[in-house]
Amino acid sequence: MNGLIAWLEKYIVPVATKIGSVRWLVGLRDAFITTMPATMAGSIAVLLNALLRDIPTQYHMDSFVNAMQPIIGVNGQVWTATLAVYGLIFAFTWGYNLSLQYKVEPLAGGIVTLGAFLMGLTQSAAATLTLGKALSGSAAKVLTTAGAVVDGKTVTTNAWGYFNFNAQFGSTGLFTAMILGGAAAAIYIWLMKKDVTIKMPDSVPPAVSKAFTAIIPAIVAFYVIGIFTYAWTQIFNGQVFLDWVNKTIQEPLLHLSQGYGAVLLLTLLVQLFWFFGIHGTNVLGPVLDSIWLTAQLDNINRFSQGESVRYLWTRASFDMYAWIGGAGSTVLLLIAIFIFSKRADERAVANLAIAPGVFQINEPVMFGMPIVLNAVYFIPFVVAPVVMVTIAYWVIQWGWVSPIKVQTVWVMPPFINSFLATGFDWRAPVLQLFNAIVGFAIWAPFVIASNKIDPNLEA
Amino acid sequence: MVVINSALKQDEIKDVLTSYNEDGVTFTFNKKAGIKLYFETSMEDKTAAAALAKKLIKATSWGGVIFFSASAE
Repeated sequence: MNGLIAWLEKYIVPVATKIGSVRWLVGLRDAFITTMPATMAGSIAVLLNALLRDIPTQYHMDSFVNAMQPIIGVNGQVWTATLAVYGLIFAFTWGYNLSLQYKVEPLAGGIVTLGAFLMGLTQSAAATLTLGKALSGSAAKVLTTAGAVVDGKTVTTNAWGYFNFNAQFGSTGLFTAMILGGAAAAIYIWLMKKDVTIKMPDSVPPAVSKAFTAIIPAIVAFYVIGIFTYAWTQIFNGQVFLDWVNKTIQEPLLHLSQGYGAVLLLTLLVQLFWFFGIHGTNVLGPVLDSIWLTAQLDNINRFSQGESVRYLWTRASFDMYAWIGGAGSTVLLLIAIFIFSKRADERAVANLAIAPGVFQINEPVMFGMPIVLNAVYFIPFVVAPVVMVTIAYWVIQWGWVSPIKVQTVWVMPPFINSFLATGFDWRAPVLQLFNAIVGFAIWAPFVIASNKIDPNLEA
Repeated sequence: MVVINSALKQDEIKDVLTSYNEDGVTFTFNKKAGIKLYFETSMEDKTAAAALAKKLIKATSWGGVIFFSASAE
């Protein structure tokens, strides 16, 4: 075991440390984490509207839905200001957290990335209408006053200031925010670090001084992105940068994430990392969030608008079906210990760890048992989630259980979490229960085997 | 007693904690048992000492990557 630890410390930990210390990746991870107040508020609104509007509508409870309209309306307001504009919120937190990583003025950093994101979007509502006959003079005047161009039977509008709120501000804009915001932040941070700034005397209040310091780097960043996005639309016949990013990067990448191989590989990597004492979520967080959380947000927004969801496997699918009670589904190990183990040390740890385990916190069992570097439990710790993820993946693929379409907090107990997250699909907790039984069956023989080992012989 | 649970970087954790000496707060390595490292501390409040130990380990370049816990005993 000592040789293995030495090998891990020599070859794996430095790589993990490098990944974990890349400030761009840490900034990206934190940018997603800091949006949590908005995502949770938005998810509650979606959940309530499913309960008050979508489900009653299925059962033709129209008078109930009508009576609930004010509450439904309030939920709609909350959703509009949170999940519907998630890309916009992320665009700010991205620059803010990246600037924090590089220890430069973060508020201005957030403003720069937010502005850069907006430059990649459609900013006007254009439409051409051909009429059956020419408009009367007064009708034409009404339209031209409103900014339209009337030419005989053709009315053309090109109203500026109309962002395509529904199509571009939500999760659809995430990769554009990452790319344009990242480029703008790089310029801003580089100039701040090079000290290309306006210096104010010490007598100036700190808030004013900070704002002045960021002026030149922010202006340069805005202009570079502005020139790029303007040139882009000119070269590509009015196509905005977001449309290109979506077609060539975001959608193919999310499509790739839906493959069984990608889901299995990530599950396996997280298990191996945790087992060998490496913080799996910290190292793989940027991948998990930027890909599977984006897919989840897309699902939530589509669900809230009554559309069918596009992604079958999302960020929370791992927590619901592969990591019941935390990575390794260790709550199932605890149940197996209660049933089969006569070892006082294991039962003592299980007693302490069961309550946090129900809420998906498994640190007490990971270190208390321990699971980390415990050869006896290596196989079930890795195999149980892999088998469970396989079952859940195909069951969802075959359409037997709805995919995730509502965000829940990760500490929510099993069965309740999947029921809520799938928009009240009763089959989801049934799948979770089936997976729990399978996981339990994988853990149980190893618990029985551990009872044949003298605890004093274990390191 | 402060207990650090970590499978990796145990020698480095010992170095980080035993070399700390600020405001009269020190950590002295006591023993190792599997993945557990035990430290005596001069701090009265052992829970605060465990929190400080966690903060010190987190502050290293590898602290955010390893899976570890710090607790008072």
